[in-house]
Amino acid sequence: MKRLTRVISILGVAALSLGVLAGCGKSASDGAAESDTSTAAVSEAQADDAANEAVADAASYDLSNVKLMSEGKLSVGCEVGYPPFEDFAEDGTTPIGYDVDIITEVARRLGLEVNIINTAWDGIFAGIDNNYDLVCSACTITAERQESMAFSTPYIANYQAVILKAGDTKEIKSFNDLDGMTVAVQKETTSDELISDYKSTGTIDVEVVANEKILSCFTQLDNGEVDAVLVDSTVADGYLAKNPDKYIYAYKDETEAEEFGIAMGLQNTALKEAVDWALAGMEADGYIAETYDYWFGVTE
Amino acid sequence: MKSFLKGLFDIKNWKKRTMITWVVVLIIIAVCIVLSFLKPSEADMKAMASPEMQEMIKADESSSRKRVTVTYNSLIIVNYCSFSTSGAKEITEKYVGFVGKAFQADEGFGKFAGQMVNYTYRMLGCGENILHGAKLTLFLTTASTLIGVVLGTLLALGKISKNKVLSKFCSGYIFFFRGTPLMIQLFVIYYTLPAVFGFAWRDLFSAADNQAVYKGAFIAALIAYGLNSGAYCAEIVRAAIQSIEKGQHEAAKALGLSYGQTMRLIIIPQSVRRMVPPVCNEFIMMLKDASLVFAISLMDITTISKNIMTSEISYIVFLPALVIYLIITAFFTWIFNAIEKKFSLYE
Repeated sequence: MKRLTRVISILGVAALSLGVLAGCGKSASDGAAESDTSTAAVSEAQADDAANEAVADAASYDLSNVKLMSEGKLSVGCEVGYPPFEDFAEDGTTPIGYDVDIITEVARRLGLEVNIINTAWDGIFAGIDNNYDLVCSACTITAERQESMAFSTPYIANYQAVILKAGDTKEIKSFNDLDGMTVAVQKETTSDELISDYKSTGTIDVEVVANEKILSCFTQLDNGEVDAVLVDSTVADGYLAKNPDKYIYAYKDETEAEEFGIAMGLQNTALKEAVDWALAGMEADGYIAETYDYWFGVTE
Repeated sequence: MKSFLKGLFDIKNWKKRTMITWVVVLIIIAVCIVLSFLKPSEADMKAMASPEMQEMIKADESSSRKRVTVTYNSLIIVNYCSFSTSGAKEITEKYVGFVGKAFQADEGFGKFAGQMVNYTYRMLGCGENILHGAKLTLFLTTASTLIGVVLGTLLALGKISKNKVLSKFCSGYIFFFRGTPLMIQLFVIYYTLPAVFGFAWRDLFSAADNQAVYKGAFIAALIAYGLNSGAYCAEIVRAAIQSIEKGQHEAAKALGLSYGQTMRLIIIPQSVRRMVPPVCNEFIMMLKDASLVFAISLMDITTISKNIMTSEISYIVFLPALVIYLIITAFFTWIFNAIEKKFSLYE
């Protein structure tokens, strides 16, 4: 019995030290409560604004047909970690980014609260109608995807772009000029598919380095491990705005635009109409253009 | 318990080494307490913002679109406060508070110290619930190891039992869960099962709960990790039981003990000591495997550090991550060693 009590006392000490290890445990929960209330306050403020505006516009939307996961709340699936579209702010909890601004405004105009649910990219679409109402996470609208889900009207257009290191004088007028180069792309993105297609068909002789994160591509370019990065022009805009002397825009394929939309369940037509209505309003009063400038900073 | 407390207060008879350790620990704790009282308060730190920043924060209050993120992290003896705007043209101001003073932390050592505080704070999951960072890792690992040990003991007893059906079932279970990757088991439990049986993990919690999805994912993760750990622990327990000499069984039989009594009173207590080191091993493996929860939307230490790397373009984030992992591992190794020592008395 004595031995048992000893073991128990050791476990007790262990539990105590666990508490110490957690260290900030108490302030932690305080902080959580605080951030909760602050987000609540935000959404409240937004709800107030929305109410005011609704009165002013006299064009508030009738949501009676729209079915949502939880009453009065728009649950949004989003892979937070793809700046500048979606990313955590420095406090590690607040999602910020272009998509976040867009979807928050959509919800505001519909008089809803927004709840952003961080999700891994794999399986993100499987969560629609299970874990959240819609996905707003830099999703390209493709014919294939449209078979299994509904997309809102596009809220941003995107092109494939080639980025070189600053000072590189190579001229790139089409993807064919990437012949003989080593190109970094993010795995399983449109860029990856595009360049892999050029390679597998034998159009050009190119070495493709596929990375998990887009940041790795730019680091490889910095370190001279690859010659170029092929990436979404919007993402490139974000990186170039932050590091103007490090990289240069070599080529942007403007012949083929990809458009990003908000993905919803096929059956959820009422929600699609509501979101489209909000997006149309945002397009009309310049909210989308203004947000684009703010995040991608290309109008100089 | 009584003897432990007695030992603690009977200072004269402490071994020299133990006493020195205690003294050092107490001094460190005392210094930390003093320093934690000396660090600037949250209000002081937040007042450091430049006038322009204050103006922007004011402007945010009346706007529906927030631009400035105010971060305040407090880690026992230091605190860190930053104000950053979002968007293409970022403006940031960072301050580190230490011993009653707030230092600018925009470059040099200050920046490094600030980053360390911020990253550590985020990875420990401070200011968050149990579904975040080190708290998630610790809780998931501890809970799944406990489930694993209990389940593993039952499975091991089943596997070595004379009942053919039970034995085959347990062997099959162990074969399946050891033979497939944990990641895929996690996917099956989180995605495939709900799709096949038509339920959702989030429905376990109220729809109004903003965290329902994460909580549902956590339950799924706990089940997956527990089942997986059970299979590994079963083999550990079986090996430990079978390593006890046959003579023990025979002696028990000669004394007229039943199979159940033999196991419960003689064999299992002796095999515990032999289980401890491999269970410790399994625990440490689990600790690192906990990072797989990123696949189902949860954020453990590794996932948070990768996230910080992407958003801040900073590679030093892995320094605090390594230190946190090492501290956790050292701590649990110490516990397991202590448990092993207690049970060694038999041999």
